[in-house]
Amino acid sequence: MKLWLLLSIPAAMLAAGEDSFLLRGGTVHTLSGAQIDNGSVLVRDGKIIGVGKDIAAPKGVKVIDARGLQVYPGLIDAATEIGLVEVNSVRETSDTTEIGRFNPQLVALTAVNPSSEHIAVTRANGITTAATLPQGQLISGQVSLIHLEGWTTEEMGVSRTAGLHLRIPFIRTSARPAPFDESSTSPSGAAAPNAFTEARRTFDREMAELNEFFDSARRYREAKAAGGTDFRTDLKMEAMIPVLEGKEPVLVTAIREREIRDALIFADRQKIRIVLCEAPEAYKLIQEIKTRDIPVILGPTLALPLNEDDPYDRSYTTPADLQKAGIRFAMGTFAGTANLSSRNLPYQAAQAVAFGLPHDEALKAITKNAAEIWGVSDRLGTIEEGKWADLLVTDGDPLEAKTQVRQLFIKGKPVDLDNKQKRLYEKYSARP
Amino acid sequence: MRRTVCRLALLAMAVNGMRAQAPGRYLLRDARIVRVSGPVLERGSVVIRNGLIEAVGANLTPPPGAWVIDCNGLTVYPGLIDALSTWGLPSQSGAGGRNGASPAAGPEDRPLTVSWVKAADQIAPSERAIQTARDGGYTTAVVFPRGNIFSGQGAVINMAGERAGQMVVADSVGQFLTLRTSGGRGYPASLLGSIAYVRQIYLDAEHYKTAKAIYEKHQEGLPRPAYDRALEGVLDSSLVLLPAETAIEIERMTALASELKLKAVLYGGHEAWRETELLQQSHTPVLVSLKYPERARDADPALDEPVRVLRLRENAPAAPGALAKAGVPFAFYSDGVNNPRDLMRAVKKAIDAGLAPADAIRALTLTPAEIYGIGKRIGSIDPGKIANLVVTDGDLFNPETKIKYTFVDGNKFEPLPEEPPARPGRGPSR
Amino acid sequence: MNKLTWLALVSLAPAIGADAPVIIQNATILTVTNGTVRGSILLQNGKIAAIGERVTAPEGATVIDGAGKYVMPGIIDCHSHIMADAINEGAVSVSSMVAMTDVLNPEDIAIYRALAGGVTTANILHGSANPIGGKTLVMKLRWGRNAEEMKFAGAMPGIKFALGENPKRRGNAPGGGGAPPNPANLRYPATRMGVEDVIREAFTQAKAYQASWEDYRAKTTRGELAIPPARDLKLEPLVEVLEGKRLVHAHCYRQDEILMLLHAADEFGFKIRTLQHALEAYKVAKEIADRGTGVSTFADWWDYKMEAEDAIPYNAAILTRKGVVVSINSDDPELIRHLDKEAAKAVRYGGLSETEALSLITINPAKQLLIDKQVGSLEVGKDADVLLYDGHPLSNFSKVLKVWIDGREYFDRDQDLAGRPQKQSEKKDLVDKAAAEQRPARQTP
Repeated sequence: MKLWLLLSIPAAMLAAGEDSFLLRGGTVHTLSGAQIDNGSVLVRDGKIIGVGKDIAAPKGVKVIDARGLQVYPGLIDAATEIGLVEVNSVRETSDTTEIGRFNPQLVALTAVNPSSEHIAVTRANGITTAATLPQGQLISGQVSLIHLEGWTTEEMGVSRTAGLHLRIPFIRTSARPAPFDESSTSPSGAAAPNAFTEARRTFDREMAELNEFFDSARRYREAKAAGGTDFRTDLKMEAMIPVLEGKEPVLVTAIREREIRDALIFADRQKIRIVLCEAPEAYKLIQEIKTRDIPVILGPTLALPLNEDDPYDRSYTTPADLQKAGIRFAMGTFAGTANLSSRNLPYQAAQAVAFGLPHDEALKAITKNAAEIWGVSDRLGTIEEGKWADLLVTDGDPLEAKTQVRQLFIKGKPVDLDNKQKRLYEKYSARP
Repeated sequence: MRRTVCRLALLAMAVNGMRAQAPGRYLLRDARIVRVSGPVLERGSVVIRNGLIEAVGANLTPPPGAWVIDCNGLTVYPGLIDALSTWGLPSQSGAGGRNGASPAAGPEDRPLTVSWVKAADQIAPSERAIQTARDGGYTTAVVFPRGNIFSGQGAVINMAGERAGQMVVADSVGQFLTLRTSGGRGYPASLLGSIAYVRQIYLDAEHYKTAKAIYEKHQEGLPRPAYDRALEGVLDSSLVLLPAETAIEIERMTALASELKLKAVLYGGHEAWRETELLQQSHTPVLVSLKYPERARDADPALDEPVRVLRLRENAPAAPGALAKAGVPFAFYSDGVNNPRDLMRAVKKAIDAGLAPADAIRALTLTPAEIYGIGKRIGSIDPGKIANLVVTDGDLFNPETKIKYTFVDGNKFEPLPEEPPARPGRGPSR
Repeated sequence: MNKLTWLALVSLAPAIGADAPVIIQNATILTVTNGTVRGSILLQNGKIAAIGERVTAPEGATVIDGAGKYVMPGIIDCHSHIMADAINEGAVSVSSMVAMTDVLNPEDIAIYRALAGGVTTANILHGSANPIGGKTLVMKLRWGRNAEEMKFAGAMPGIKFALGENPKRRGNAPGGGGAPPNPANLRYPATRMGVEDVIREAFTQAKAYQASWEDYRAKTTRGELAIPPARDLKLEPLVEVLEGKRLVHAHCYRQDEILMLLHAADEFGFKIRTLQHALEAYKVAKEIADRGTGVSTFADWWDYKMEAEDAIPYNAAILTRKGVVVSINSDDPELIRHLDKEAAKAVRYGGLSETEALSLITINPAKQLLIDKQVGSLEVGKDADVLLYDGHPLSNFSKVLKVWIDGREYFDRDQDLAGRPQKQSEKKDLVDKAAAEQRPARQTP
């Protein structure tokens, strides 16, 4: 308890050079190599400049005692809505979903609210970075990778346009049976899904439109390269260029097997780099995903099986299935609310461990792999020299709910672990 | 277009032409007679007189002036009964109730209730469905108004008659219930509310009876019970038809019936094979729908249907056989399938799934009559019963078999020649 | 095919056989009420027959090696909507005439999934669409049995109340602007004031109804002529509440509405058994504790709506420290699968002990439902509702291996795994058969 007090000294008191220090004596889980018992991490100007067993503190550099504690890279939620929505049921607090089906020009970071209570609450559980996603039909906008700390969105931004979010078109047939209380005498036989033929037609049209959108972006790029006085800038088309040039991946949300298959076909056809998103039925297409070396950002492990006859642990074992097949994957929590909240990311990983995923792989899924998939592994994801000092210091395994976060650093700066919930706790604990 | 006109003309002629004989005297001679109430007579005769069966047996002499029909090689069955039907009712028969009124605020507003409506008052003798059914061997249908929670009272009607009143064999034979909801406009908006409503109505009906009886005896000094047509309607017939397709629904509805001490008949019944013991112990008859559950047309091929549903479909035709074995009274009903050939095909499916043909015939004749308490009037070939008969050139469930005559109330009908085989499996288009 | 055959075919549960005694040996036994025992536990005749370092296995007992494994009581979920074909009767502001027992669905796969997460008992509640909702009941998750057989014998029935945003939603025009609302489509109440009014009005009516029966009985006793009052299914359960024969489970969020309900209950002389969700209960812990009312809450859900803004994951801890009996519930078919992991969060947030955390999902909900004499802890004589884990139940790396209810095994992970290929092939057969039957039919025009 004393230690905790010591470590949670308000940032202001640390004065100049607070992003330079030696964290000493902890068990350092670098995730890039072996764990270092009684190890040290040397940080200067927010970057890690030394990791090892016997690192002496350079003169004037503050030493932070981490004896008996565990040190991890900050956790990364590879897909959320954090910062874009505050209270789910109050429309006015949500900026996730714009009007229109083709919005590549929208950027999530624009609407991230640095004062969102969710940010303070989430980082208190050791999550230092999150990919935040616009939502919508088809192309909803650009995913931004953000640090869960900063005075402004600029300070928070790790990668303003990390990828384009696409919800792959899908055949909208509802599998729900007709409700019992209709006057039909055959409820079981009277399933009234949308007619497949009709839904298929809509899907074909949407898919054609989507391909056409990419094709016209390609033509736009050529026209732009050619120049000329009649060339007009088109913001939507402009936003597509990094995707077409392979500089940015397309994050493709696909749920059912058929949707994932369609996503793969689409990627093949457009010759673009994709990341599969959510993909609870990725386990059905292991070979196809593996052959193309497509990474996956899996949805919550703590999720219901999609089909009544699926094994009860279907969603628990998918991470292990992908790992065994050698598919690169990270984990996202997706919705910013309720039990899926970002702060529970470590327990999504832990559940996969309970059902067969090696512990180390679970940790990597919410650190190293996420950084790699989002193209920021030069800065984030492991404790290595040259990377940003995003460090999580705990009294135990961060995948265990009982574990307490003792200290958190983002770019070497100690992060305030206080939040509204803790304040209310203290206030009302003291109510006479 | 021209073809349609021609066909309609032909039909009109046929309808008139078929009523060739006045209710008269017939001797069906040398027929194979499936009496249903007793053993099959391999060779015998049936005497029809004044609309009734006068005699059944070997070596009967024709009554004076009777038309003797040589039935050598033909089989006589009791006329078939559709145990839950809308044949002969106009399609709007279920309308009424609180249409146009403000949404019901509770059971006291009697939502979705027209319990007082009698099918017998709504019969339309010219309905096309009547002739189609009759041509297919159906001489009787038990018709109910539909569409409400308390939909109204059923009538047993014969499939012929110039005036509606002549067609009625029995009226107020039961109250037809569904567990439908308001669709969001008022109470009840859920299955929870529908069931609770049914419960409240029967409690109210019981109280209504008691209160009225006390008031009848002591008309001074007591508050006068308010007249309630919903309860009057419910009290008109003791038999209650409750929806129960799956095993869970069967359990639910038998429990409700036993709680409210209702004389219940369940309809649906496709999963009744799982609940034979309960049905047998609770003496609950079942009306089995001949529209078996099917995969939705144009369903998504990738739809992962649960084993639960697949099994229900797979085993639905086995329900009748299981009920027969357990001794649970059951009858078949058309459930919107209007072509008798399709109905016979569906019965054949049940036979293939283990139902004895004799039990199948009983479920189309005597059992439905007994369920509705008119087993003394129709359902078997016995002296004194209404002369509803069907005469075929072979086994009823053989697809090759043709129906030669049907007798309704002693009137002889010959079916129209069937459509050319270019359109198999279809009745006259509607 | 008879019913049993069918059940054996479709049920995911092990076949129902005679209940041989079961003994789990060498296990770490978390009794919840009497500390931790390293030894054996014997389940016999549906009850826990013995717990101790050494327990002799009776003849014919199934012996399970519990080395390295953990045993705990079955989890009790005080707020669930599984196994129901309908949840809300939302057309009326008082729907106490409806009963969850009417719409139970014992084949809901959510039951099996919850069982696989260690839940053995669940309080099946009506939804929160009305200030006074429907009648509720307690079920044991005896998967494979019918609804009647799954009922928790002797558990007191309940009724759902709901305060705040949900019950007033139908009183508000959608969108909060635009076209003026058609009053016919709005349902009273639209405010928390109206919610209170609905509750007070309903109990005023219930008292009058109660009095009308008393009056009738008095008259008949005196030999006077009288017509009995008509039975009113809406008011009967409220009279039962007044008479202490039915437990009130009240959905609520904010502290003001919690106090409102406690005062209304005081006024009419009944008790609120549990406050459900009660995410701001920590603000009025004292008032709740004073009345002996329990709180059944989420571990860390928050901010999904306005009234959940001040929710804190320390709710359970504060309330526990201030003397309230607290449980963690699911209200959700997914969350119900890992209530153990939810309870573990109470160790992190607010520092409850491991036993206190386990109590949140075992003995505490049992107390709230007045079934703590039968279930909720591992004690000799209690129902043998028992879980076997491969690690400590509060560890996120642990999972349930076996579940017994009344000493009968209803879940076995190994058996579940082993049975999967057969289930798949059975399904394939059914699909193929249906496809084969459909093909010729399709040729018919």
